[in-house]
Amino acid sequence: MDEPRPASVRASQRDRADRITALMNAARQGSDDAVGEMVTEFSPLLWHVARAAGLSSGDAEDVLQTVWTRLLEHLDEIRTPAALGGWLVVTAKREAWRVRAAERKQVPTDTDAFAELPDKGSGSEERAILDDQSRTLWAAIRQLSPRCQELLRIIAFVPQADYAAVAAKLGMRIGSIGPTRGRCLAKLRAVLADGLEGNPL
Amino acid sequence: MTPRGPGIEPPADGPMDDVDFGLLDDIQELFEAIDPMPADLPERIRFSLSLRDLETEVARLADEDLSAVGVRGAESSRTITFDSESLTIMIRIDANTDGTVRIDGWLAPPQRREIEMKTTADPLSVSSDEQGRFAFSRVPRGTAQLTVRPAGPKQSGAGPAVVTPALIL
Repeated sequence: MDEPRPASVRASQRDRADRITALMNAARQGSDDAVGEMVTEFSPLLWHVARAAGLSSGDAEDVLQTVWTRLLEHLDEIRTPAALGGWLVVTAKREAWRVRAAERKQVPTDTDAFAELPDKGSGSEERAILDDQSRTLWAAIRQLSPRCQELLRIIAFVPQADYAAVAAKLGMRIGSIGPTRGRCLAKLRAVLADGLEGNPL
Repeated sequence: MTPRGPGIEPPADGPMDDVDFGLLDDIQELFEAIDPMPADLPERIRFSLSLRDLETEVARLADEDLSAVGVRGAESSRTITFDSESLTIMIRIDANTDGTVRIDGWLAPPQRREIEMKTTADPLSVSSDEQGRFAFSRVPRGTAQLTVRPAGPKQSGAGPAVVTPALIL
């Protein structure tokens, strides 16, 4: 059931690069509208970066505020439109680590990166909103290492045009013709193909 | 979801194919369903970023009081107090019958100021009187934010502009 990709993703990489370049130039000249457009486009990705790092909703919102404020201070250092997504993701990850580290000092906690997701509860909420196929996928994702869970969640929100730039920033290997599948996607495909043996839903 | 191939693990160092991209789409949908970003978050971020160049004092929420008036629960009145170093801003929010809200405000110490309200539609502007009173008769519901500026251009001794955090009407 492949949904058609949104127009922003379907557009050629060239069009997208031109558009992001124009937004960045306008933002440098102080256009609130251009900044707003970037915020609207990239915030969902940054939300999932922060939440995948294990932050509460409130902390994740603070991280996003910080990242966008910082972007406006550092716009001149981001040279290419493709670098914007990578810069935002890395800055959000760093800020999320910083917040987590500060919290660990204050309150001893052993919550893992997915502590707040519905699977820790009764599961009724999750069952209510997910169809069978999504539940199968969710169960498969949860069999992966925490690092793979975090990585896949982040790159799932990266527009295909930005994929190589962001993947490189996240330490994934880029092959001669583009990003490679990587250990996490390969493992996920294997888990799904095995039909989740021994892991009834 | 995307149809999968036979049950063998594909090479991790192989190039990404349509199955991989389909899976990533499915993962995106999954997390949008179980842990969506708050829908109004980008709007709130835009709001606070738009204030970045103002030389301002930021007021903080000091008190919020919800009191139901009238018989029906929907007809309620909220009183909110914001404090900054130089100014206290108190506003009362009442529902209008047409779906908008009315805002009555008071500045302490009392003084003439320009009061701007950013809303989800166009910004609104009024002045406070000598007693520090001001009113917006019809404000659209949604995110809003008040900025209190000196009454005249470069008025001496008027103090800095004061902004409140975004509030939801």
